[in-house]
Amino acid sequence: MIFAGLGFAQLAAIFGVVGAAVVGLYVLRLRRRTVAIPFSPLWQKILKDKDATTLFSRLKRLLSLLLQLALLALLVFALGDPRAAATLVKGRTLVVLVDASASMQATDVSPNRLEVAKNEVKAMIRGLGGADRMLIAQMDAMVTPLGPMSGDTSELERALDQVKATDARADFPRALRFATDTLRNVELGEIVVVSDGNLGPPLDASGPVHLGDDKLSFVSVGTGKRNVGITQFSVRRYPLDKSRYEVMLEVTNTGPEQQDIELSLLGDGNVVDLTKLRLMPGERLPRFYPNLSGASRTLEAKLANVDGTHDDLPADDHAYALLPERRRAKVLVVSEGNTYLEAALLLDEYLEVTQVSPTDYVNKQAGGSGFDVVVFDRVTPASPPKAHALYLDPRGPGSPVKVDTELTAPGFDKIDRKHPIVRFTALDDVNVAHGHKLVPDLAAGDKVVGAFGGTSPILVAGSRGAYKFVAVGFDVRDSDLPLRVAWPLFLLNTVNFFTDEDARYISSFRTGDVWRVPVSTQATEATLALPGGGTERVPVHEGRAVYLGERAGFYELTAGDSAATPEQPSPINGANKTAFAANLLDAEESTIAPVPELVVDGKTAGKVEGFHVGVRREIWIYLLLAAVLLTALEWATYHRRITV
Amino acid sequence: MGLLESLRNSFSRRSDASHARGDKEDLFDDDFQRKLDYLAIVSRRVFAGRMRAERRTKKTGSGVEFADHREYQPGDDFRYLDWNVYQRFDKLLLRLFEEEEDLAIYLIVDASGSMAFGGGDKLRYAKRVCAALAYVGLANLDRVCIVSTSDRVMMRMAETRGKARIFKVFRFLRELESAGTTDLGDALKTFVAQHKRRGLAVLISDLYDPQGFERGINVLRYNKFDPFVVHIVDKTEEKPKLFGDVLLYDCETGDEREVTVTPKVLARFREEYEKYIHDIDRFCATRQVPYVRADVSVAFDELILRVFRRGGFLR
Repeated sequence: MIFAGLGFAQLAAIFGVVGAAVVGLYVLRLRRRTVAIPFSPLWQKILKDKDATTLFSRLKRLLSLLLQLALLALLVFALGDPRAAATLVKGRTLVVLVDASASMQATDVSPNRLEVAKNEVKAMIRGLGGADRMLIAQMDAMVTPLGPMSGDTSELERALDQVKATDARADFPRALRFATDTLRNVELGEIVVVSDGNLGPPLDASGPVHLGDDKLSFVSVGTGKRNVGITQFSVRRYPLDKSRYEVMLEVTNTGPEQQDIELSLLGDGNVVDLTKLRLMPGERLPRFYPNLSGASRTLEAKLANVDGTHDDLPADDHAYALLPERRRAKVLVVSEGNTYLEAALLLDEYLEVTQVSPTDYVNKQAGGSGFDVVVFDRVTPASPPKAHALYLDPRGPGSPVKVDTELTAPGFDKIDRKHPIVRFTALDDVNVAHGHKLVPDLAAGDKVVGAFGGTSPILVAGSRGAYKFVAVGFDVRDSDLPLRVAWPLFLLNTVNFFTDEDARYISSFRTGDVWRVPVSTQATEATLALPGGGTERVPVHEGRAVYLGERAGFYELTAGDSAATPEQPSPINGANKTAFAANLLDAEESTIAPVPELVVDGKTAGKVEGFHVGVRREIWIYLLLAAVLLTALEWATYHRRITV
Repeated sequence: MGLLESLRNSFSRRSDASHARGDKEDLFDDDFQRKLDYLAIVSRRVFAGRMRAERRTKKTGSGVEFADHREYQPGDDFRYLDWNVYQRFDKLLLRLFEEEEDLAIYLIVDASGSMAFGGGDKLRYAKRVCAALAYVGLANLDRVCIVSTSDRVMMRMAETRGKARIFKVFRFLRELESAGTTDLGDALKTFVAQHKRRGLAVLISDLYDPQGFERGINVLRYNKFDPFVVHIVDKTEEKPKLFGDVLLYDCETGDEREVTVTPKVLARFREEYEKYIHDIDRFCATRQVPYVRADVSVAFDELILRVFRRGGFLR
């Protein structure tokens, strides 16, 4: 017998102090209540007989004191949490990994797999042995321990209640590594996986997970297989006609039966398209919707069975996307006149173009303030504008990059094809009569997008302060570039590059990934409004808010300060606010057929055993029960005048 | 308007009206007093009295009801000669009339500490009984005297007669407070020594006398008073609400005694109490002393009008 709670010396001290108090109180209690009577001789004869029983009465009172001291002893003993030494040594240490991935939302079992899994774990908690300790961790895109390692059932149940379903797939290898790390150097360690088993191989970048001596148990949840899910969903605007967009999605039948489904596409809540589809077992059906219009912001795809019912996993029956917000960019063209430039800018109806002469620019435009983009055509201001700027053939000290030697017949021998300003363009064979070599400031982060001969940059992009710039080292009229399709694309790409209205815009993120959402703020934190309501503070690192999202739906990110300062350009989605969507889009997660067995490190997980509800090994509970019984006994004997 | 009300009105003309109203409210209401107007105290024996009242005595004199004849003796009043007898028998006989005299009623109220036990119900009840009896006596032109006792005679209201004196009785009783131990024997010895004129002695007491209740009654009997015992009892004393370890102390003597009260002890106490009551009843019955037990839980007017009549105290 050992004491897992207070030590013996502490218990003895407590018993001594409280026992003394009990005896003191008992002595005080022996002071009788004084009661007046009108005529004492009537009591005389009775009291004479009573004298004979005084000794017996004292003994009974002593019994009462002994009962109370016994009660105290039980309570003090319970404080010590006495346990049999054998049971303490043999206690197991369990790490329970509760799968909270999207597939656990399947409703093939009532109410859903996750609740059934929680009930299974609850049964385990109630069947814990007195020396057993358990840690409950939620397994989704990451692994989250929900409480300390504990043998306290109420604490474990509180931890279990925190398990919430996510729309992400489970990172099984990470969860296993967490469990094995937790159980390192622990005897009788056991990992219990409560899942539908659709977890993928226990393998990550570090290789396969090794369990060591830890025992692996598996509780399989779920029975159904019937599911059709949206496994791909993407949308983009046409670069040259942003009022129209195209959608690509893929629907997969992961179940074993043929399914007749109805696919709805909603733009801003209105039905844009409705299609009935028949999918054979295991069939992946891509759908492409070109040249759509009618939605300005949100797109949602929904699946439903033709008969109006839902399949077993509703989580993958919805997919969301956000179109890049369309906003008229204000462009100031500073030029003596350039038909090619003006014509190209007319192609995009979402550009609001203002043209001024170089003289008026100096006198009236105050450095381009109030415009998103300023295009300097063969003009270079003395001081940089307060806007993003495109310099065509810059000269003089006002140029953002140093203009070096003149080049004869330069060409784009080297192109950074990943740069957004040259996306969709073919510049390799552009003929240029003459131009100038640009000298980028690499220390300031300038990038050479196009260079002649590998050493003479003629197209440079970078930023000065809070404003980006693009410099072209030749006059476009001295080339055949304006006669090519690449010219308007280059201009629009450049404007989009400046306004972040990038053709690479991500219409939706995938749940379970770490999202890096660009924000235009110097703040180190941003506020993220979640799809189900509520907000979270997320860190901003290198201009991007970093967040591991696990819920599908629409998000809105608000940068640290509520309004953009004049020095800060407006971000894509308005003043410091960025909206985006997130989707599951995972064919493997949509495959909800439960796996009957789990194999890790060559070991097949066994069944969970050793949990017996109702049997507790903690002696203190029984001691408390005994104390309660003793109290009841004392109460009864006192009120029946047995121990008074 | 009741009799007392008219008396009170006449009294208030001479004294403080509010004071009189207070006395009345303490002891009687009008309806109750109207009933008492028709009651009179009867004594089992005829007492000699100083003043004419509504009691017949052995004494012959100037009453209106014929009693007897006797021979004329020199010095007798000629007005009482029976001239018809003289004419028929030629003898001078004197007509004797029954003389109606007043009765001396002594109301002895036990004002010991035990009478105040339990909130003073017994003393309050005794005062009311005493006031009622005094009123009836006064209404019948009897001579009423009230004495309070404990182990001695504590207070004494001088003999008085006439209904108008009822307020004096009220004042006396209102000032009466309980104190001291009970010793009816010694107290009544003092009483008989102070009151030479014999009469009806109504002892109103709970008879909690450590020396024995018999002594006091016997003192009255041996000194030719006509004792009438009104035993004030409080049934709650028979069933005291006691449980557990208690320290009992006598409210009169202060004697203390530890006792653990159990249902069994309480049952035995009830037996002892009933035996004590029974002993008093038997004592009075064997000595032909009228005895009335007045339970404070019985309505007061019911006691006066029904129980006293049944006990032969009122007619």
